[in-house]
Amino acid sequence: MSQRETDVSKLLARLAIVISAFIAWAVPTTAFAQETGDPVTGQPTDGAIGFQPSVTTIMDSTAAFHNGLLMPIITVITIFVTALLIWVMVRYNSKANPTPARFTHNTLIEIVWTVVPILILIVIAIPSFGVLTDQMTTPDGERKYLGSSIFSRENGEQVPAAEITVTATGYQWYWGYEYNDLDGASFDSIMLSDEEIAATKPGQPRLLAVDNELVVPVNTTVRVLVTAADVIHAFAVPAFGVKTDAVPGRINETWFNARKEGLYYGQCSELCGKDHAFMPLAVRVVSKEEYAAWAEKLKAEDDVEAANMTLASLN
Amino acid sequence: MATATADHDAHANPTGWKRYVYSTNHKDIGTMYLIFAIVAGIIGGALSGFMRWELAEPGIQIFPGLASMVYGHEWQSAAAIDAGKHMYNVFTTAHGLIMVFFVVMPALIGGYSNWFVPLMIGAPDMAFPRMNNISFWLLPPAFILLLMSMFFEGPPGGMGTGGGWTVYPPLSTTGQPGPAMDFAILSLHIAGASSILGAINFITTIFNMRAPGMTLHKMPLFPWAILVTAFLLLLSLPVLAGAITMLLTDRNFGTTFFTPDGGGDPILFQHLFWFFGHPEVYIMILPGFGVVSHIVATFSKKPVFGYLAMVYAMVAIGFVGFIVWAHHMYTTGISLDTQRYFVFATMVIAVPTGVKIFSWIATMWGGSLSFRPPMQWAIGFIFLFTVGGVTGVVLANAGADRSLHDTYYVVAHFHYVLSLGAVFSIFAAWYYWYPKMFGHMYSETLATVHFWVMFVGVNLIFFPQHFLGLNGMPRRYIDYPEAFAWWNQVSSWGYAVTLVAVLVFLYTIVDAIMKKRPAGDNPWGEGATTLEWTLPSPPPFHQFETLPKIK
Amino acid sequence: MAAHAKNHDYHLVDPSPWPFVGSVSAFVMAVGGIYWMRADVPWPFLIGLAGVLYTMFAWWSDVIKESHAGDHTPVVQLHHRYGMILFIASEVMFFVAWFWAYFDAFFYYDEVQQIGRVAATGGHWPPTGVELFDPWHLPIFNTLLLLTSGMTVTWAHHAILEDDRQGLKWGLILTCILGAIFTVVQAIEYAQAGFSFSGNIYGATFFMATGFHGFHVLVGTIFLLVCLFRALNGHFTPKQHLGFEFAAWYWHFVDVVWLFLFAAVYVWGSWGIAVGH
Ligand code: HEA
Ligand code: HEA
Ligand code: CUA
Ligand SMILES: [Cu+2]
Repeated sequence: MSQRETDVSKLLARLAIVISAFIAWAVPTTAFAQETGDPVTGQPTDGAIGFQPSVTTIMDSTAAFHNGLLMPIITVITIFVTALLIWVMVRYNSKANPTPARFTHNTLIEIVWTVVPILILIVIAIPSFGVLTDQMTTPDGERKYLGSSIFSRENGEQVPAAEITVTATGYQWYWGYEYNDLDGASFDSIMLSDEEIAATKPGQPRLLAVDNELVVPVNTTVRVLVTAADVIHAFAVPAFGVKTDAVPGRINETWFNARKEGLYYGQCSELCGKDHAFMPLAVRVVSKEEYAAWAEKLKAEDDVEAANMTLASLN
Repeated sequence: MATATADHDAHANPTGWKRYVYSTNHKDIGTMYLIFAIVAGIIGGALSGFMRWELAEPGIQIFPGLASMVYGHEWQSAAAIDAGKHMYNVFTTAHGLIMVFFVVMPALIGGYSNWFVPLMIGAPDMAFPRMNNISFWLLPPAFILLLMSMFFEGPPGGMGTGGGWTVYPPLSTTGQPGPAMDFAILSLHIAGASSILGAINFITTIFNMRAPGMTLHKMPLFPWAILVTAFLLLLSLPVLAGAITMLLTDRNFGTTFFTPDGGGDPILFQHLFWFFGHPEVYIMILPGFGVVSHIVATFSKKPVFGYLAMVYAMVAIGFVGFIVWAHHMYTTGISLDTQRYFVFATMVIAVPTGVKIFSWIATMWGGSLSFRPPMQWAIGFIFLFTVGGVTGVVLANAGADRSLHDTYYVVAHFHYVLSLGAVFSIFAAWYYWYPKMFGHMYSETLATVHFWVMFVGVNLIFFPQHFLGLNGMPRRYIDYPEAFAWWNQVSSWGYAVTLVAVLVFLYTIVDAIMKKRPAGDNPWGEGATTLEWTLPSPPPFHQFETLPKIK
Repeated sequence: MAAHAKNHDYHLVDPSPWPFVGSVSAFVMAVGGIYWMRADVPWPFLIGLAGVLYTMFAWWSDVIKESHAGDHTPVVQLHHRYGMILFIASEVMFFVAWFWAYFDAFFYYDEVQQIGRVAATGGHWPPTGVELFDPWHLPIFNTLLLLTSGMTVTWAHHAILEDDRQGLKWGLILTCILGAIFTVVQAIEYAQAGFSFSGNIYGATFFMATGFHGFHVLVGTIFLLVCLFRALNGHFTPKQHLGFEFAAWYWHFVDVVWLFLFAAVYVWGSWGIAVGH
């Protein structure tokens, strides 16, 4: 083994130590970042650098997957590449190393840098498929969902079967909601202007507040059938971890089960023309009792404003 | 024969405008491509400037005024605001299309490849010199058509096409019935024809015109990169041509390829588009890979590490690039199994790409590095491309992409690989080959300033966009809730810094042209070993009249 | 000669106005096309088209002159072969787009989540209101026609290799006639179609795929006609006849595309279905 090659292995050994130390630090920190929680749920926060806080099993697993696995891995890879670059720049600049070596091959190292990335990708792929399958599988009440323990379904959570079905239709430029179980009662949901917010919903965020929110009960699985009437839009609520395109002529299914009451905002996430930035989604998660009263009213009168009068949070 | 020969000579070296307009010389055509790319780069960069200006703070500031000025709406009227909202989308669309089709591709493929593929393989010119010229001359009409589209109606009450560079129907069909979209579609047709002809030319040149003794396995990496790129172009662009032809007939002849009412399917377009679109992103980066390999070797005074692995990594990237397209479509409603397959296939690309990154570092390892401007850009490229590449791996996972799709995280990803990857390789190549192409040297101090200001600027623009995306900010938005204000402001300040860098770049050219410091045949010393450095700077109008022999 | 002592066999083509003229014409044609579609004004398009056609004529005339001047050395001929093969490869990918659109409708005509499509097609194949062609009527006739023309063009090829000018001439004439008959039969078939180009996915994919194929037949026929005229004027030698060879390749390509169309669209598409004709 030449002098240079021993140098290489020494350096690799040192790097390995640094990297493991970093993982030991990064994984727990980022994984818990979302737990420490932020007072504001259901909407973005200024200066934030991560996901909005999660209120669904699906977003739990998405966040755990991203914050706990992907993010640390890509950070380490980037730091590793940067460290190597800095090292070669310091060690092998023309002052430090006036006569260049001539080697062009090293089979061992080439195998290492092919095999190690493959192993890393396999480690990523295992939870990746799990998280994806969860997202795409509407609960039947039996199936266990990963939640934040993305490597094992054993400790997963059971999610109740869907009880409510809503059809969300994208229009240029607002959303229409139809409650399939309430005799197809329906209403439109339109963004409020600044003046309207001040008049009717003071304190709600600009560009996110709407006149009639999608109202759903807490801890209940809601199936959403997403479609569009004119061009493609996308139904997206970050705190729920759902995003599904609303395509004319197609019905796409998604679902969520929110564990916390409150208002959750999303924004149309497929370019749909001039007012693409002005057709937010807002979901009002209320207690089961409140929802029952609201639904009763809506079903009876097919008048969303009347139904909304039953909600404590709106009075 | 004597008169015929004299006549022949008079034709062979025309002067004035004819030298360029009638050109059959790969170096002159390459130069025209480079000038075209710089002009288009300034326009595309300016469009993004207006976008960043608008996004500097919440609310709608710039575009209604712009719309009033350009289209004559009454100042601050409701019509002006609507026109402004649409105009933002028009700018985003034009910015994307211009940067992709009229800056990066012309610079890397039309410009540098035209100049250096023949030189590096020891050929006197391209295989089809006349066809080479039409490849170039189709670009100005295509570009003009795209610019013209901004002055025709798109959607009712708005001028230009605002459907995004991906032109998804129905927004690009029934959503924008005016003729603007037709102009954009035909612009793409013509630009595509130009690229297909170019691809045929490069493949033929590389297969048939290598100097005696230069087997494919001895060919430098830049021509290899172009060979793979040309195959991607040849096989992907016709599918785009088909897709946009269907758009055209849906728009004008009542066909229903993408209209569900007539049994069509909007998602079909997305498949066709991305079957082209994903190879397209590797079309934009592979030439950069080639450039960086040479620069790293030159300034390390050491041959490229793992030449064969480098070659086959590119071939592998090109091949796999054809079977991953639907990773752009995870949220469209494609089935779980389809998503699983595309997650898997997409992640595979990280492996050959990693081989390239590590081989560049291994090339430097043990070398004797000098950090002259091309090397600065090349090292910057390796770092920034890695950042962009690893966020690509995040997006490859459909489970994570559910939250990130169509947010600024994607915008950050692709600017790291494009505006910081491909564009850095363009500048690296510029500073590497400038003395060879024009025979004089630029100020290395200015070039270094350009590098550092640009490096800081573009990172300031695009790094915060990861945060915006994670926090949920959708892309293609003219306005955003106050909660996204801070990082947007940082991003817009970054643009201001980048603007300074672009000005420094332009000044560096002016300075170089005015001072005309002689460059010498090989300004980079013993590390520069490829054939172009054996020629004078600039090379003679017809080089290699006696073909070089490769041992 | 001294200034240009070229010691290689490559062809350094003289400067030429045609690329620029062609590009300007393409631009006029594009803008004109929009005017035609939008404002019903055909002239700008036709002027542009004339420019494009003139460019092709002038450009390829130059190529033929250069060939006769001896510029087409063996290596240059090899370039041309590569160029033609690659061009055909790109054409194949162009047809991939049409087949993709067709199979998207054919395989997924009743996919449940595509409510719009199911409503339009009635959830069955062929879509509601579409009467398919009987493949064993005009289409099989055209198939046999094209296959025969593939043979006649090969005959012409063998003839030229053996310097049999009469064989070359008659082979080409027959091929052109067969190509022309194909086009006529296709036109007759189109006129009887039980569906239209607009308004339904079957007509869109059918006419687009067979229509672009038909266009290629037309181009191929013209290509062969040009070869015929050149042959009558004494062009082509047993050793060098690339122009003819490329026309033959192109013709075979058109032929193969038709076989795929016939198999996938006509036969498979109407398998087990009552058809009109
Ligand atoms: C030059 C252009 C370029 C390049 C090279 C890439 C490279 C990659 N891209 Fe990117 N991409 C774009 C341009 C590009 N992309 C554009 C323009 C879009 C958006 C289009 C639009 O919607 O408008 C996009 C969007 C995009 C999406 C869709 C996102 C969405 O819309 O939701 C995805 C998803 O999979 C993706 C993935 C990848 C991957 C996996 C790579 C990989 O090739 C990256 C591989 C590189 C590395 C991984 C780094 C180096 C490797 C190592 C150091 C080895 C070790 C690494 C590991 C083990 C991970 N890209
Ligand atoms: C190569 C591609 C490329 C490049 C270089 C850039 C450069 C930049 N882009 Fe662009 N961008 C895209 C491709 C690119 N972009 C695409 C495809 C989209 C998506 C469009 C869509 O949604 O449909 C997009 C969208 C996009 C958005 C999102 C808009 C939205 O979703 O609402 C934003 C916002 O900040 C943005 C900003 C910028 C900025 C500030 C730069 C700055 O870096 C610009 C600074 C200027 C330069 C770096 C130019 C320098 C180059 C030259 C002068 C040429 C040199 C030539 C030679 C030396 C020969 N871009
Ligand atoms: Cu609706 Cu974007
Ligand atoms: Cu991609």
